[in-house]
Amino acid sequence: MIERWALVSGLRGNLKTYDLIQRDLKKTRGVTSLFVLGDLVGPERNCDALLDRLKNPHRGDLKPDCIYGWWEEQLLAERGFRGERKADALRLSQGEDAVNALLNTVNPSNLNWLASLQFGFIELDCALIHGSSSDVGDNLTSETSPLILLDRLTRLNVNRLFTARSTKQFHLELTGGGINSQVKDLNGKREQQQEVPKRSVIGIGAGLNYTLYDVGSDKTHFLTAGSKTNPKRNGFA
Amino acid sequence: MNHAIISCLHANLPAVEAVLNDIDRQGINTITCLGDLVGYGPQPNEVVELIRKRGIATCQGCWDEDIIDGLNACECSYPSQLAERRGHLAHQWTDDQLTDENKSFLASLPTSLRRDRLLFVHGSPNSQHEYLLPDMDAFAALERVETAGADILFCGHTHQPYVRELRDGSIRVRLQNADHDCDQGEELTLPMRKIVNAGSVGEPRHGSTNATYVIHNDATDEVEIKEVAYDVARTCQAIVEAGLPKVFAWRLSHGFEFAEQAEDASHVCER
Repeated sequence: MIERWALVSGLRGNLKTYDLIQRDLKKTRGVTSLFVLGDLVGPERNCDALLDRLKNPHRGDLKPDCIYGWWEEQLLAERGFRGERKADALRLSQGEDAVNALLNTVNPSNLNWLASLQFGFIELDCALIHGSSSDVGDNLTSETSPLILLDRLTRLNVNRLFTARSTKQFHLELTGGGINSQVKDLNGKREQQQEVPKRSVIGIGAGLNYTLYDVGSDKTHFLTAGSKTNPKRNGFA
Repeated sequence: MNHAIISCLHANLPAVEAVLNDIDRQGINTITCLGDLVGYGPQPNEVVELIRKRGIATCQGCWDEDIIDGLNACECSYPSQLAERRGHLAHQWTDDQLTDENKSFLASLPTSLRRDRLLFVHGSPNSQHEYLLPDMDAFAALERVETAGADILFCGHTHQPYVRELRDGSIRVRLQNADHDCDQGEELTLPMRKIVNAGSVGEPRHGSTNATYVIHNDATDEVEIKEVAYDVARTCQAIVEAGLPKVFAWRLSHGFEFAEQAEDASHVCER
């Protein structure tokens, strides 16, 4: 069977959004896998109902494979699951109130499950990560320097990197180019040429905005849950 | 003006003295040290005190960091489990030998130094433990220099001196996002950048026992890799007498690390 993946992120405790996505997926032909790329939790609302649904899918739900995102990293750090680190990034960017709000959104009984989530998945030649190979908080967008995007792909030796941290939907393809280098050492000089490999970085969106990926044709489709049609949201092969 | 860059001294006093003498003979007054003053070698206090006495601007190396922060600071890249055990022995021995004053000095070192468009680090701008090898992916190498906002990146850590010029680079991209139906193709022209690895004064691994360092002319950007002979036997003798693993002396007398790599090449430390 040709695989079609659904890629979701940024639910931030919103069970209604997740339910709408699941309904969409039931109506969409051929979806074989659902990947939730982090930010299952957030400070806006109690997240326990969503976490329970992710852990115990309803009958007919596409079973989700989840990884942790930036908000889980902050929560787990503050709760002592990351050694000496605390939720410093959240504290610095949004203050103490945001840290306290986050702590109150998740029942401690869910922390071990969140702590068991992986940093990312490597499926075929694709990396599925909340941020990037550099950091869970790495905010890759279509504006990010292609040199940095190429570096993040190279670190994992994959051809496609699906990222969620920016919350944007985009498909940026590296189509060509190259670089020359000369190395001089005590044995002399040597020239090297290297071409840009054909690789892509895909931003999958967040919340209601999610992405379908057709593995066989390498096509992305940017969708919004609950909208009646998505006529012109197809990506490219 | 010429300035000299030295790295990876590794507590080898005869090598450090020989290199500093060589630099002094050329009338070069500005010296920058890229760290790893200690580790493996038998004279950690003497080397640290010489660098302090000379007032040489120094950034912190991975060994300097590990001595201060403990082995947990290590993003380990030992080539084998045996090499790792020997490294731990050297760490413990160095930790026992170093005076509190010298430890405080190592703790005070910055992880990078910058002079205008020149950036000085031990491993890479990302980490004291990252190896920028001469044949690493050219785009990744350029990314390290460019993201750090430098024209020339001086590093050490590999113990292999080299100068790598990255030029004529470009990346073509095509974009589609949820707001734009049409593809947007564009080409990014990459800047020319240079990575200069100073090799190692105290534990060369480039196939020769000579200490290495580099001289950079900041007017012409020309770089010269220098080799300096020193009394290797004296340091080897001191390693054995100190009770450090004899393989450190053997390695120093050959200028290679291949023997350790052969023992367990598949080892990846997950600490």
